[in-house]
Amino acid sequence: MKKLAIYTVILAFCGSAFYAVSAAEQAAAPAEPAKQEAAKEPPVCFESRKGASEVTQREIKPGWPNVKCSPTTGAALWYGDPYEGTVPMGKMPGLEKIPEGHALIKPRSEKLALMPMCGTACHNGVGPQFNPPKLPKDKRPTPIPTMGAMVPDLANFQHGRGRIWCLDCHHTTKRNMLVDHFGDPVSFDQPQLLCGKCHGDKLRDWRDGIHGKRIGEFVSSGKKRWFTCTECHNPHNVQDGERNRGFVQLQPEPSPQLPKGMKDAKHEKLHPIPH
Amino acid sequence: MNSNETPPADPAKELSAECPAPPASADPAASALKTSRRDFLKAGGMLSLSSLMGTGALMAQSEDAHAAAEWAEHFQKNYRLMTPEEKNEARLRLERRHSQEYGKQVTVDITDAQPGMLMGYALNIRKCIGCRRCVHACVAENNQSRGSKPGEKIEWIQVLRMERGEFAKDKMNHGYPEGLGIQVGGNAYTPAGQVLEGQYHYQPEAVPEKDATYMPIACMQCEKPPCVKVCPVRTTYREADGPVVIDYNWCIGCRMCMGACPYWARRINLTSPVLPKEEMNPVTHYLGNRPRMRGVVEKCHWCLQRTRHNRYPACVEVCPVGARKFGNLLDPESEVSKILERKNVFRLKAELNTFPKFFYFYD
Amino acid sequence: MQQLTSFAADYTRYVLKGGTKFYAWMGSLAVLIIGMMYVFYLQNTEGLIVTGMTSQIHDGLYFANLVFLVGVAAGAVTIVFPAYVYHHEGMHKVTVLGEMLAISAVIMVTMFVFAHMGRPDRLWHMIPLIGIYNFPHSMLGWDVLVLTGYLILNAICGFYYLWVKYTGGEINRKFFMPLVYISIVWALSIHTVTAFLIATMPARPMWFHGMMPIRFIATAFAAGPCLIILAFLIVRRNTKMWVEDSAIDLLSTIVTWCLGIALFLTMSEVVVELYARTEHANGLYYLMFGLHGLTALVPWFWSSIVLMVASFVLFLIPAVRKNYKLLPIPCVMAFAGIWIEKGMGLIVPGFVPTPIGEVTEYYPTFVEWLLTLGIWAFGFFILTILLKGAIGILQGEIKYGAAK
Repeated sequence: MKKLAIYTVILAFCGSAFYAVSAAEQAAAPAEPAKQEAAKEPPVCFESRKGASEVTQREIKPGWPNVKCSPTTGAALWYGDPYEGTVPMGKMPGLEKIPEGHALIKPRSEKLALMPMCGTACHNGVGPQFNPPKLPKDKRPTPIPTMGAMVPDLANFQHGRGRIWCLDCHHTTKRNMLVDHFGDPVSFDQPQLLCGKCHGDKLRDWRDGIHGKRIGEFVSSGKKRWFTCTECHNPHNVQDGERNRGFVQLQPEPSPQLPKGMKDAKHEKLHPIPH
Repeated sequence: MNSNETPPADPAKELSAECPAPPASADPAASALKTSRRDFLKAGGMLSLSSLMGTGALMAQSEDAHAAAEWAEHFQKNYRLMTPEEKNEARLRLERRHSQEYGKQVTVDITDAQPGMLMGYALNIRKCIGCRRCVHACVAENNQSRGSKPGEKIEWIQVLRMERGEFAKDKMNHGYPEGLGIQVGGNAYTPAGQVLEGQYHYQPEAVPEKDATYMPIACMQCEKPPCVKVCPVRTTYREADGPVVIDYNWCIGCRMCMGACPYWARRINLTSPVLPKEEMNPVTHYLGNRPRMRGVVEKCHWCLQRTRHNRYPACVEVCPVGARKFGNLLDPESEVSKILERKNVFRLKAELNTFPKFFYFYD
Repeated sequence: MQQLTSFAADYTRYVLKGGTKFYAWMGSLAVLIIGMMYVFYLQNTEGLIVTGMTSQIHDGLYFANLVFLVGVAAGAVTIVFPAYVYHHEGMHKVTVLGEMLAISAVIMVTMFVFAHMGRPDRLWHMIPLIGIYNFPHSMLGWDVLVLTGYLILNAICGFYYLWVKYTGGEINRKFFMPLVYISIVWALSIHTVTAFLIATMPARPMWFHGMMPIRFIATAFAAGPCLIILAFLIVRRNTKMWVEDSAIDLLSTIVTWCLGIALFLTMSEVVVELYARTEHANGLYYLMFGLHGLTALVPWFWSSIVLMVASFVLFLIPAVRKNYKLLPIPCVMAFAGIWIEKGMGLIVPGFVPTPIGEVTEYYPTFVEWLLTLGIWAFGFFILTILLKGAIGILQGEIKYGAAK
C-alpha cells in the first residue's frame, strides 16, 4: 500500500511537471497578439520549427541586434550573432578536420522539458522497489503506460511505423541519455550519433553540410553553428504523420507586393493553356 | 550560455578591424583635397576638374555630409577604375553621409575579392517549403526599399508555387486536339509545375501545401551573364570571386540588363528607396547592400558584405529546412563542391548558356 | 564667316515670321512642350514611380515611341534613295524635306531616351573618354552610335544642300555624294540595330527571333513615308512649294509594298508561334487573346490589325491612292496602326510574362502620356521650323544678300 502511494505521488509529480512545461511551450507559440500588446517586451523568435529552439532579441551594439524576428510569423529572420547560446559540438566522427571550437551546437537538453527530471525524479534508481526489478531484459516492445501518458506523440507513435520502439533510441537505464548501437549512452545534444545509426546517408550528407543547416562562416574550416537533427525534426514523428514530409507545416511570410496596376493575384490561379 | 563572450564573427567588428581608416585621411575633406591635387597634376581634363569641384563643395559645406557627398558622387569614376585612394575616399564620403542620414555608425566595406575564392550556391529543390523566410531575410540584410505604395517595395528572391497537377479519369476525354473527333482519350493531364508559370502571391495558412511544390529564384550569378554584356556603361560586372555586382553610382538606369536577364533577378528603384532608420543594416559593402538611390538597378550579390568576410549569406542562415547551401567552388571540401560531386544538380534555363553558379539539386 | 552669320540670321528671321495659323500651331505645340517639361521635372524628382512602369514591365511608352521613331527616321531614306539612286526627278526636289524629317525624328528619339532613363543626369557615363562606352558588346552602345551618326549625316547633307542653295554656289559632288550614299545605308543600320537591341535577348522569347530586323524595316518604310506624304500634302496646301505628284505617288507605292510585307511577316509570326503554342508564345498569346484572364493589350492589338489591313486595302485601290483628298485617310490609319504594333504591341508583351512566368499588366499614367505627347509636340515644333526654313531656301525666299 505504501509502495503504491509513493508510486502514485511520483507519477503525479512527473505528470504535473510535464504539464506545466508543455503549457509554457504552448503559451510561447500563439503569443503574437500578446506580443503586440506588450510592445516593450523583447521579441522571442523561433528558429527552425516552432517549439524546438528560440532566441530572444537583444541589441549587441547600437543598430545591431543579435537576431531579427518576423513581425508576421515570429520566425527568426536574420542573425546578427549566429553563435549565441552555443557550445562546442563535442566529438563527432568524420569532423576531426574542423579546428577546435569551430563546430558549435545549441544544446538540446536545455530545451527538453522532461530531461532534467528523467534521471532525478523517476529513473533515479531509488523509485519504487520493483519486485523483481522490471527493467526490460531484451528489446522487445512492452507498453510503458507512464510514459505514454506523458508524451502525446507516443499515443500514435509514428517513427519506424511499428518496427522500432522507445529503447531503440533511449538508454535503458540512463533515461536522460540516448543510446548507440553498442548500448553506450549518447547525449541529447548529439542526436546525430543516434540518428546516424539508421540514416547513414543522411548523416553523411549532414556531416558534409549538404543535409541540414549550418550558420556562421561558410568556408570549410570556418566557425559554424550546426543545427542538430532534432532542431528541425520531431524524432517521435519525423514525417509529420500522414503528411509524409520531414518538416512540419509553418505559416509563410507575407507575399510580395502587387505591382502597380494589379488589383489582386487571382489570375495566377488560372491556367493559361487550355487542354 | 556564453552570452558575455564577444561573438567572434560579428561582421561589424571585423569590418572595422580589417579596413582601418588611415589616420591621415580620416577627415574626408582633407583626403579629398589631397586626391584632387594629385588628380589635377596627373590627368587634367574633365575628371580632375570635376573632382576639384566636388572637393570644393565638400569643403564649403562640410556640415552637410549628405549634400557634399551627393555633389561629389556626381563626378566620381566607375568603381573599377578608381585607384585605392579614390575608393577609400568614396568609402569615407559614403560612411559620413549614411551615418548622418540613418543616425547610426554606418560602415561601407571595400574589401576586394580574395584569391582562391569562387562563390557558388546550391538549393535543394525537394526541401523548399515555400515559407519565404529567405525573401525577408534578404530584405532585412540588404537595405532594400520597403515602402507601402506600389513600386516602393523591392524583394530580390522570388518563391514560385507550382501545382503538382494530376491525371484523373474524368478528364480522359478532354483535351488536345479537341473538336474534330480525331483523337480522344489518353489525355488526363492537368498542367503542373513543369512550366515557370506558377503563383507568386500564394498565402495559405501553412506551408508546404499538399498539392504544391516551391521554387525559389534569385540572381544566378552567371559565369556568362547576359546583363553584363548589354550594359552600355559597364557598371555591372562579374567580380573575381563570382558575384555579378553593380556600381550603383555609375548606373544610368537604362534597364537593358533587366531585359536581358533570363531569371528576372534585377529590380529598378522607381523612387528614392524607403528605408526606415531603425531597420537599416549599418554593415554595408560598396558593391553590396549600401543604400541605393532613385533610378538605379539593384540585384542579389550573395551578401557581399558578409561573404567577403566568410559569413554565410542571410538567406542561407534563415532557411528553416536547410535547403540553401553556399560555399567555395574551388574548395573540394565545401558544401557546394560536395553537392556537385554527390547529388543530381541542374541549372535553371541551362539552354541559354548563361552558366549559373547557382545550382538546384535534389536528394 | 560673314556668310554663315547672315545664313543664321536670315534663316531665323524667316522661320519666326508667319501667319495666325502658324503661330496658333506653334503656340499649341509650345503648351504641350511646357507640360512635358513639367512632368519631366516631376519624373526626375519623384522617380519613375510616377509612370506605370514596374520592375516586371520596365519599358513602356517611352521605349515604344523610341523604337517607333527610329523607324520614322529611317523612313526618310525612302526619299533619298529614289532621288539619288534612281534619279527620280520629283523626289530630288524634296530630298531636303526628308532629311529634315529624319533630323527631327532622331531628336525625338534622343528625348525619349532621356525620358526612359532612370538617371538621365548620368548619361555622360556613356560618352567615350570621360565615361565608359561598352563597345562593341552593348547593343545600346551600337544604337547610340548609329543614331548619333545618322543625326550628323542628315544634318550635314541637309544643311550643306541648303547652304549651297542659299549662297547660290555649286554642290561639291565629291564631298556630297559619298555622304548621301553612306546615309542611305546608315538609315538601314539604325533600324536594324534598334531591332537587334531587343532581338538579342534570349530572356525575352517574344523578341528573340531573326525576323525582327526585317520586320522593323518593313514597318519603318511604311510608317515613315506615311508621315512624309502627310507632310507633303500639308506643304502643298499651305506653302508656295509644290511637291510633285510623282513623288507622292512613289511614296504611296512604297507604303503599299512595305505595309503588305509587314502584314505578311506578322502573319508568319502568328502562324509559327501559335501552331506549336510553346511557352515561348506566351507573349504573343497575351497580346492577341490575353493570358490568365488579363487582356489589357488585346484591344490594342486588334485595332492595330484592323487599321493596318484596312489601310493596306485602301492603298491597293488606285482611286484612293491617287486621290489626294482621300490619301491622308489610309496614311493616318497605317501610321497609327504601326505605332500601336511597334509600340504597345511589341514592347509591352515582351515583358508579359516575365522570364520566370509572372503575368502583370501595364497601364501608362497621365505623366507618361503627357510626356510622350510633349516630346511629339517638340518634334513637330522642330520639324515645322526645319521644313519652313528649308522651303524658304528652296523657294529662293531666303537668299544670300537678298535681305539687304
